[in-house]
Amino acid sequence: MLLELNNIFKWVNSGNRRIFLLKDINIQVEEGEFISIMGPSGSGKTTLLNVIGMLDNFDEGEYNFLEEPIQSLKEKHRINLYKKYIGFVFQAYHLMDELTVYENIEMPLLFKKYSSSERKALVGDMLDRFNIVGKKDLFPTQLSGGQQQLVGIARALISSPKLILADEPTGNLNSKQGEEIMELFKQLNEEGVTIIQVTHSEKNAAYGSRTINLLDGRMIKD
Amino acid sequence: MIKHNFILFLRNIRQNKNSFFINIVGLSTGLICFLFIALWIEDEISVDKFHQNDSRLYQVMKTNKSSNRNFTSEWTPGPLAKTLPEEMPEIVYATNVLSEENGIISPGNGKEIRARELYAGKDFFNIFSFELIDGNKDEVLSGNQAVVISDKLALKLFGTSENIIGRDLEWKQEELSGNYTISGVFKAPPASSSLQFDVIYSYEEYKDRVPDNYNWTYNDPHTYVVLKEGANIEALNSKMTRLIRERSNDETSSLFLTLFSSKHLYGKYENGVQAEGRITYVRLFSVIAILILLIACINFINLSTAQASKRIKEVGVKKAMGIKRRSLGFQFLGESIMTSFLALLTALLFVVIFLPQFNQIVGKELQLDLQWPHIVFLLAVSLLVGLVSGSYPALYLSGFKPVSLLKGKFTTRASELWIRQGLVIFQFGVSVVLIVSVIVIYQQIEYIQTKNLGYEKDNIIYLRREGKMAEKLETSLNEIKNIPGVTGATSYAHNLTGDHGTTIGLDAWEGKDPEDNIAFSYINAYYDFIEVLGMELKEGRSFSRDFSTDEDKIILNETAVAQMGLKNPVGQIVELWGRNREIVGVVGDFHFESLYEEVKPCFYKLSDSGNHIMIKIEAGREESTLNSLKAFYSEYNPGFPFDFEFLDKDYQHLYQSEQRVSVLSKYFAGMAIIISCLGLFGLVAFTAERRQKEIGIRKALGQSSSQITMLLSGEFAKLVGISILVGIPVAYLLSINWLTSFAYKIDLRLWYFILAGIGALVVALLTVSSQAIRAAFKNPVEALREE
Repeated sequence: MLLELNNIFKWVNSGNRRIFLLKDINIQVEEGEFISIMGPSGSGKTTLLNVIGMLDNFDEGEYNFLEEPIQSLKEKHRINLYKKYIGFVFQAYHLMDELTVYENIEMPLLFKKYSSSERKALVGDMLDRFNIVGKKDLFPTQLSGGQQQLVGIARALISSPKLILADEPTGNLNSKQGEEIMELFKQLNEEGVTIIQVTHSEKNAAYGSRTINLLDGRMIKD
Repeated sequence: MIKHNFILFLRNIRQNKNSFFINIVGLSTGLICFLFIALWIEDEISVDKFHQNDSRLYQVMKTNKSSNRNFTSEWTPGPLAKTLPEEMPEIVYATNVLSEENGIISPGNGKEIRARELYAGKDFFNIFSFELIDGNKDEVLSGNQAVVISDKLALKLFGTSENIIGRDLEWKQEELSGNYTISGVFKAPPASSSLQFDVIYSYEEYKDRVPDNYNWTYNDPHTYVVLKEGANIEALNSKMTRLIRERSNDETSSLFLTLFSSKHLYGKYENGVQAEGRITYVRLFSVIAILILLIACINFINLSTAQASKRIKEVGVKKAMGIKRRSLGFQFLGESIMTSFLALLTALLFVVIFLPQFNQIVGKELQLDLQWPHIVFLLAVSLLVGLVSGSYPALYLSGFKPVSLLKGKFTTRASELWIRQGLVIFQFGVSVVLIVSVIVIYQQIEYIQTKNLGYEKDNIIYLRREGKMAEKLETSLNEIKNIPGVTGATSYAHNLTGDHGTTIGLDAWEGKDPEDNIAFSYINAYYDFIEVLGMELKEGRSFSRDFSTDEDKIILNETAVAQMGLKNPVGQIVELWGRNREIVGVVGDFHFESLYEEVKPCFYKLSDSGNHIMIKIEAGREESTLNSLKAFYSEYNPGFPFDFEFLDKDYQHLYQSEQRVSVLSKYFAGMAIIISCLGLFGLVAFTAERRQKEIGIRKALGQSSSQITMLLSGEFAKLVGISILVGIPVAYLLSINWLTSFAYKIDLRLWYFILAGIGALVVALLTVSSQAIRAAFKNPVEALREE
């Protein structure tokens, strides 16, 4: 079991009313799964993804990641956990405009113990794999949206995570580019990476092995 | 990782050239001010600190009590230095040091050079650490005919400073003229010495030549002593006071010790107590240096936090990758330290370029020699500046929650807005205070320049009375008066800028309370003193050659008459130093000291022993008259150069510190305003950029460009308005405080403050409005599309 959410609640207090962002979420994810989270705007998809990614806290419930109870872990410990096992892919790519393609992909390694030659090898592999060797010295603004997202995925993969969390990875792309990205995810999944994606599109959701539907913070069908 | 951070730093600079430029210009301007002031302060506090005996090296000061005031002076009786080590075991060495008017020295090869001389006791070189290049420090001043000269003077006289011991020198200075033999050579005193001299003679010789001045009641030389380690100063003070009272038979005198090296910074005595002095300016400028640096740091803080949204994605992404807040904090701190270091390099460059100009303003010869302590200091300063300006932005930026960042949601917290506005208010508040200060200082100086002093200082020159002028005063003055363009000439002993006699020896006038002993200032001068200086005679007459006994008469000033309580002073008899004198006239008050001092009771006594000649020249013919005077002088008084000074220059010299402060404060205030405006400029540019969408919507809804300009400018105008309100009371208190040290001063007028406020507001609005207008005239469609 990779991770497990049991009776997760998350709320904000507005005046004396409590507004639930997540309500009684129960999910179990095995390694190698490809899960799509769907639901209308404001249904809590991204919040759920952030909770899974440990970027956001929850107020009640239990979250075990690789048997570790997240709610009782220290911040430092938690950071180490997701630094090691989780990679993020964002809708808006969130590449750093000041860094080249090469440097963007390299960045996560800088904060871990890799020698510079190891880093070079790893980034080189990644550039090869995504066929973007020729673009390594370009800055993100010089790339198309699809290429930027490729770099974003390469950056997420560089530290070889077990789990990739993707928040509408194709949301800013045209349909052809989107398809290519989804194919890439499928391929990665086949290589053993667990993927959880948030998406609006049924078509993209179909790439997954399982779909979780959310409405007003509640799971309506697993 | 360091390389990565460095790359990010450089690329961020490239992307945000404007704000980087503003930061560098602001920080380096602040640092330039800071470094200049630091150089100046270092120089000020190092004065006289180089003596090895520094902590035990004291000067004996003398205070005299009188019923109207206690006055403290450096002049002490001649026998004191000899008596002190003999009678008090705590005193290791003592010497008298006396300087007269500079005499003329000549090695007999036709060269004649005016030299600054001292007459000092034999232990002079044991007390002070002036380096002897040649000669034995115990012996160089032991012979009466000995003279010790500086290496610089030796070079001028002989072309060498080596092997000149035993050579003869001729010295021309009234009673002390004669031949002396070189017994030693010393290295010219460093700039950090308050004692500056070219040549030293034995005080013993002075004593023999002018025996009248060597007794316990005549106060002439300064006295310096070196104490034993751990000597009790208080006990010594009372012992010395007992000594002087006993020997001089004067119960009003007391002696006390002052650390020699404190004289430069704490040189003023108020009512017998050591008061501030130059330390006031040292403190003032330290505060200004820190404030200006702070203003520059504030720019950095404001710009970095205002532009936080530009870095927000980086923080979000990095945090999402598991990078700790601490490393992000260090990254941002590192950036600010690097910026500060770059600013330091820029500042150093400008300091080197402008050091000569700065030296000219402060009248020093400061140098930027980068010794290790200096380098460490500079690095520490740039580190500190980096930390001060970087720590808040670092905390602020690294504290963002990744979730809200990645959502692209960026809200400015109210507290943050408060801080930013508070900082802007602080900056402009300081600027307003500085502007007011500049106005007040200029007004006071203007007042000093134009105040009626009770005499006319213009078109009067004075020169030393030497040679034939010294021998035949009356003839010489007559010859001078015959030169066309000369309207008057006299001789006098003291000056009108603070040097005059003080005595409690004026006594026994009608109606005097026998308990009273009023301290009088007095001026010894020849006939025509009142006429040459254009003073106003209020009653009676001036001294005149028509009366043969005018040596026994005196003339009082109005303050003296008032303090003595005399009804009809003219014709009354008073006693001066035990002799009866008749008051023949009353002269209107005139300022014979700086305007820091009230006019004191004073009398003018006829004397033909003055050491200066004063000549009044007809206005409009200065040049031709000076030329004829020069021609006359070289013929009449061969061997003596015609070195003259203008009296009004002397007067200017009295306020040199104030003049310098005024020039400096002008520059510093200017710099502070420039830095503040730079910050404001950056802030407005950024606000406009961030509010693009809002501006677009407002325009789309029909607001005019001018309304939007007003909206943007108004916000900043409000801040500047508040800072004016905060700054003015502070400025008022500071001005009042500075002016209290003057006995004669301007009244603070409302317009000084209004002008400063309007000035700050106008400058700020000019800065703001250009940006605001640009933003307001942008096409709204563009702004809205950018989302």
